Amino acid sequence: MVSYDEGASAPQPTRASFLGRYVFSTHHKTIGLQYLWLALASVLVGVVLSTLLRVHTSWPDTAIPFLTGFENTPERYAAVRLLHGSLMVFFVLTAAPQLGFGNYLLPLQIGASEMAFPALNLVSLWLTVISLAGMTVSFFYTAETGISVWLGSAAIFSIGALLSALNFTTTTIDLRTEGMTLPRLPVTVWAWFLNSILSMLIFSVLLAGCAALLSDRLLGSQFFSVASYLAAQPLNLVRQGSSAALWQRLFWYFAQAEVYVAMLPCFGIVTHLVSTFSRKPVWKERLVVLALCGVGLIGFCVWGYHMFATGMNPFAPLVFAVLASSLGVPAAFLLASWLGTLWEARLRLTTAMLFSIGFISLFIAGGLSGIFLARHDLRSAAVSEDFVIGHFHLVMGVAATFAILAALFFWFPKLFGCRLSETLGKAHFWMTFAGVYLIFMPMHWLGLLTQSRLLPDEQRAVLASAGSSIRTLVTVATIGTVFAQIIFVINFVQALLRRKRVQEEANPWRATTLEWSVASPAPEENFGNAKPTVYRGAYEFPAGLATDFAPQHLSPELLAQKVG
Amino acid sequence: MPGSTATQEIELILEKKTSDGGGGNLPPTGRNGGGDDGKRPQRENSSPKRYFTGMALGIVSILMFFMALSSAFLLRRGNGVWIPVQIPMVMWINTIVLLASSATLELARQRLADGRLSTYRNLWLVTTVLGVGFVVGQAVAWRQLVAQGIYLASNPASSFFYIFTGAHALHLMGGVAALIYVAKRNFNQAKVTRSAAAEVTSYYWHFMDALWLFLLALLYLGK
Repeated sequence: MVSYDEGASAPQPTRASFLGRYVFSTHHKTIGLQYLWLALASVLVGVVLSTLLRVHTSWPDTAIPFLTGFENTPERYAAVRLLHGSLMVFFVLTAAPQLGFGNYLLPLQIGASEMAFPALNLVSLWLTVISLAGMTVSFFYTAETGISVWLGSAAIFSIGALLSALNFTTTTIDLRTEGMTLPRLPVTVWAWFLNSILSMLIFSVLLAGCAALLSDRLLGSQFFSVASYLAAQPLNLVRQGSSAALWQRLFWYFAQAEVYVAMLPCFGIVTHLVSTFSRKPVWKERLVVLALCGVGLIGFCVWGYHMFATGMNPFAPLVFAVLASSLGVPAAFLLASWLGTLWEARLRLTTAMLFSIGFISLFIAGGLSGIFLARHDLRSAAVSEDFVIGHFHLVMGVAATFAILAALFFWFPKLFGCRLSETLGKAHFWMTFAGVYLIFMPMHWLGLLTQSRLLPDEQRAVLASAGSSIRTLVTVATIGTVFAQIIFVINFVQALLRRKRVQEEANPWRATTLEWSVASPAPEENFGNAKPTVYRGAYEFPAGLATDFAPQHLSPELLAQKVG
Repeated sequence: MPGSTATQEIELILEKKTSDGGGGNLPPTGRNGGGDDGKRPQRENSSPKRYFTGMALGIVSILMFFMALSSAFLLRRGNGVWIPVQIPMVMWINTIVLLASSATLELARQRLADGRLSTYRNLWLVTTVLGVGFVVGQAVAWRQLVAQGIYLASNPASSFFYIFTGAHALHLMGGVAALIYVAKRNFNQAKVTRSAAAEVTSYYWHFMDALWLFLLALLYLGK
């Protein structure tokens, strides 16, 4: 067969206009960075919103500056919560680890020059941008219009995510360089790959749900109409006053798995970093990959367990409770592997490594309270909303943010051509680490305290007063932690300003994977004409070399010369 | 379904793979130390395999979308006011039209493999016309239902009927666009061969065909 040249593999024209280079570029590294900027903007807004929410909870009489223009009604409060949640979940937790770092690094790590479908990649980026704009705009409308706009934006986001997932999966299957067999793939690539498969399945469901609900709201169709549905429902559904169980089913089908969509790439990143900074191979690497598959598979199946509160077939909760608890098994594998890699390692405690270890710590702390929540009976009897909020912020929100920060500190030289300051980074890490524990641990306590239906009235009053002081503590801690982020912003801006003046080495962390075989920042055409060949697994740190690591692309002869 | 071109394609891909690595599929793994140092193998990004992979994955994704709606349909069926929609006669004719289009598409691809370009073009055109005919036929069926007073908003059964047929028609129009694109495209300087493009398109088209049969069965049996 004739070898047809792929236009995508050709380097970008160097004299392209600003628009062509930065806005409508189909280049994977540009797109990856654009997702990261998007995530950075969203996280800053999201953090400010969460502070406003805390201030309002602790001191409800204070006029919230941002909300004075609006009526300070419960509806507006709910709208702030929705915006905080959507920004964080869709545009930070989903976008940064998968779409941001994934787009930038996946082709580099497998030795490809581009994603499989670059034009499609650009389309999904812009769908994401439109969806971000839509969700933000929906905040300023009244609830009725706002919800429709939000739903439309969620549908657009789903299409973008589907196209991205298609692109990631195809790239991983078909564009690996010579010698990059599946067992030699870095765990990060595995995580992005498995996550894309999961995304492809669940975002279709969200899309279907959004489309049907939108058609209900705008065209008057009757997919989720309350009256005709409830008429024939089992009693427990009606009693609990649920009106939209079908929508909830479709939504949670997506939303429960979405948690793993956010977490899977983080698992990959942390595994990668822990190995690199322990100067040891990933302990039981195959088992880690299997565990990642397990997380994806079970995550896909546990949609029902958010329906506990809504009521469902009496036997179904048991099935889902078992499924939800069984998530502990792959999670325990991952944890064992991280600890096994850390065991007796020559640790290098860089900021990136600190954030990775912080992730592990948060994952354990948050995961333990998850076991309580997986028990449906325990959950409805003993625990209130605060407990749930504490749980999922710790395990999903903050842990994932730590993984994103770890990735940023690690790959910053590859992205921008210089390192972030380690001193500022460590100060930022310790303040944030202490801060998030101070915020979310008391929240668990609060959740247990305030759910005191079973107690007599006088005890409840005592507990309620104790609860308010805990609330104040949480709010103060939130404000402190938010201010600690200023250190990060300073560090970030300072590094960007410095980058023109410093000459960064290609492989500052002495890492093994392919992206470190090219210059920092990564050149426009990735590997150019010199396609790399891969000779070994992604995490090899053999003894007896002059350097303590064996890069994937180094041929055995070149490596033999390094024996010291 | 895979015609002669598919097997040829696979053989070519396999051949390409084995011939690239300098004798073996993989470079030596260390101990036995091979020496293809100077010879940089060029497995370029030119293989059309990615289009097949992408299509297969896209099909899975679309299938999941329709499965979500189907499960909602089955869950919802028989709850509350559920007045089943009688499938209009036109839709059965449309089904035959769509099946016929799949057949002509396969014939077209066979002619292309034999190198008979003009017959291929004609059959490809017939397929496109049949595809458009199907969509027009569906529109006729909707008009008939509307004339009977069955709207999207009438009851849950009619809502599902319109969303299934509508979403399918929308996806099929994408297929028609692909047919036209392949017909108009100049393959002389293209990244893919005409036969590869035709094959990828045919997968989507046959999938739309099978999906329609499934939806029809669901709407007919599940009412």
